[in-house]
Amino acid sequence: MNDSKNPLSPHLQIYRWQVSSLVSITHRITGILNLLGLIFICAWISSAGIGENFFESLSVFLKSFIGKFILIGFTWSMSYHLLSGIRHFFWDLGYGYEIKTANLSGIIVIIGSLFLTIILWMFGKELI
Amino acid sequence: MVAPLIIWFLISLISLSTGDYNSVINFFSKPLFLFLTIILLITGFFHAKIGLSEIYEDYIQDEKIKNVANLLTFLLSIIIPSITIILLLYKF
Repeated sequence: MNDSKNPLSPHLQIYRWQVSSLVSITHRITGILNLLGLIFICAWISSAGIGENFFESLSVFLKSFIGKFILIGFTWSMSYHLLSGIRHFFWDLGYGYEIKTANLSGIIVIIGSLFLTIILWMFGKELI
Repeated sequence: MVAPLIIWFLISLISLSTGDYNSVINFFSKPLFLFLTIILLITGFFHAKIGLSEIYEDYIQDEKIKNVANLLTFLLSIIIPSITIILLLYKF
């Protein structure tokens, strides 16, 4: 019997999307995005340490439309990873394994990350 | 434990992103903010190294490539924050 053409499982393309899988893969993606953001912030902070000219060129980028978009995206990514991380923390403590609870906490993470992003920007703007 | 640190970091980042060079200089001349930034960079890159190794474990099948990837990640997770922290401490 030739079964080499059978699909490997679970294949993301044929796997039915659920809250749990969506939150899980987004946790990984946001984790990688956070690292990229952190590396950029290192460059930004370092440029301030090197001199004003270097700093200004990166600042111009941050104040542009694309810069703002990336910054808001990074805040959301961090918020999401933080909330999802707290969800993982509760699992480590042994809570929230029931399917209903896991789905609910997943939805809370998705909606909560959007709210947290908005709240952070409202707070951040206040300080200027 | 790190949640308040992250919240502080994001709010600082948002407010500093619209500020000028002097606002950043003022920010880092406060010892507490300098200290918190250094803690955030060390823990952040340490966390990233562990997380990436976990991802390599799932997606890289070749052991040799995985080891190289892990070594590179380990080195970069030390070098990048180190350069930044040294520059910060040198300047402020």
